[in-house]
Amino acid sequence: MISRRLKNSASQIALFLFLGLIALAQLFPLIWLFNYSLHKSGNLFGKAIMELPSPPQWVNYAKAWTNGRIVQYFSNSVFVVGISISLIMIFSFMLAYACSRMKWKWRSSVFTIVLLGMVIPIHTTLLPNFIWFKQFGLINTHLGIIIPYIAFNMAFSVLMFIGFLQSLPYEMEESAYMEGAGLRMILLKIIAPMAKSGFVTVGIMAFLNCWNEFIMANTFLATESKRTLPFAIIRFEGQYSSDYAVQFACMIIVAIIPIMIYFIFSKRIIAGVTAGSVKG
Amino acid sequence: MNSKKTIFVLVLPGLAVMVFAILAPILLSVYYSMTNWSGFGAKTFVGLANYKEVILQDKTFWRSLYNALILLGVTIFIQNVLAFLLASVLIKLSEKLSLLLRTIYFIPAILTVVVISKLWVNIMNPNYGLLNKVLNSTGLGSLAHSWLSEPKTALGAVIFITVWHGFGWALLFYYSGLTTVPKELEEAALVDGAGPVMRYMKVVIPYMMPVISAVIIIDIIACLKQMEVVMLTTSGGPGNMTQFVAYHLYEQAFKYSRYGYGNAISILFVIIALTITLLAKKFLSGDNGND
Repeated sequence: MISRRLKNSASQIALFLFLGLIALAQLFPLIWLFNYSLHKSGNLFGKAIMELPSPPQWVNYAKAWTNGRIVQYFSNSVFVVGISISLIMIFSFMLAYACSRMKWKWRSSVFTIVLLGMVIPIHTTLLPNFIWFKQFGLINTHLGIIIPYIAFNMAFSVLMFIGFLQSLPYEMEESAYMEGAGLRMILLKIIAPMAKSGFVTVGIMAFLNCWNEFIMANTFLATESKRTLPFAIIRFEGQYSSDYAVQFACMIIVAIIPIMIYFIFSKRIIAGVTAGSVKG
Repeated sequence: MNSKKTIFVLVLPGLAVMVFAILAPILLSVYYSMTNWSGFGAKTFVGLANYKEVILQDKTFWRSLYNALILLGVTIFIQNVLAFLLASVLIKLSEKLSLLLRTIYFIPAILTVVVISKLWVNIMNPNYGLLNKVLNSTGLGSLAHSWLSEPKTALGAVIFITVWHGFGWALLFYYSGLTTVPKELEEAALVDGAGPVMRYMKVVIPYMMPVISAVIIIDIIACLKQMEVVMLTTSGGPGNMTQFVAYHLYEQAFKYSRYGYGNAISILFVIIALTITLLAKKFLSGDNGND
């Protein structure tokens, strides 16, 4: 029915205008940012909405890379996020398995705690954790943000794994139990391979959450040498406040990794959202 | 097989981390909220005095809740409606074009809030920002503003940035929801002879209600806990115009050293978030059940 309507050329033009306008609104700010990251800083003050740089000042990127200490922030991010998402995948898979395939007394209480993690805003733990973590010497350590990163990604990861586990057949596990295989064997050799796409989805969602996380890192990590990638931008803004072009280059560098991950895994992200939204 | 020990091993790591980093600190927060501690040195127990002050005297607290409400209104009635419309169009396009557009629309949503906030700080800059340049060059120069620092425009600007950033998620939720609508449902509605808009309202929207309510519940939490954009653009200013609860409690604790007081706001925040989510869940799913 709609396709018949689309044949009407006036409404078709209006439709594509609408689509194009939104694409422009979502993309043009980033294109503008990229464009001026290749200019000399002063050019930003010209009258034109946008001019192409001639010649492109790639040196801005070299400056951002070295002065922004990108390598240091980047390796901190990789370390923190790498450990966080590995543990998120393992812990939430185990918890989801226990919650969906096994019967035990405290199951619903534990499940309620897991769901609470979805409703409680991270911001309400910022103050108490600042003192609480201090008592364990966790402030200004990477472990001190890895722990809350895991905690706050458990809820949706467990839900997602439960969704995947429910779609898996039970027979293979059962026959493996009959043959006397241990639980570890069954989880590693039978269930995990079948739930592979579940692992990918949980991993990517957790990656985006942790990689982009700012407020906990800002609160719990005090020294430059410990901080993660988003701080490259903050630091730059403070120290090179008039060097706009280099600031822009720094922002583009920070933006590029999630964009790459997104292009590689966009199907998985969509699958993750679908699983999440159907659950409600 | 279902031995206690096995379950214990499976459940313990995840549960322990959650108890350690979410549950325990919130219980501690209840205790701290009843002190007038600065975060260092001695604490005095003051009972419910902090809560009294927040509720009866803290205008910024109420202002920040009001701001969250406005943000929620804009999110639901502008962002969500636009995302839903767009998703309805995308689903009718060829898979190739639809995928390309979805990819473009979603790009801002995957970037860290630091990049997004600083990007818009630059675009809205009164001296060299893109926004005023566009207005000037289209003859609308009289509308140029110092967007993030003028009381008139600051809240609108912050809300715009937040809504812009989250747009891709809303779109993706609705798009993936729409892919589950059975074709027969729409075709069956054709027979009724109602107009296309009417059909859509009568058939597709009721079917999508679970998705819509899920997105709205996510929106409620997201709007209440808004903090990073404000922190990175206006710092709650000018004059607390753009203050949000999470940033308010953060400032009270870390900027004004009113740690106990900040915790009281924090606990009220937890209570509000839990209550609203539960109410919304009840209300939205009840609504759905009546259909």
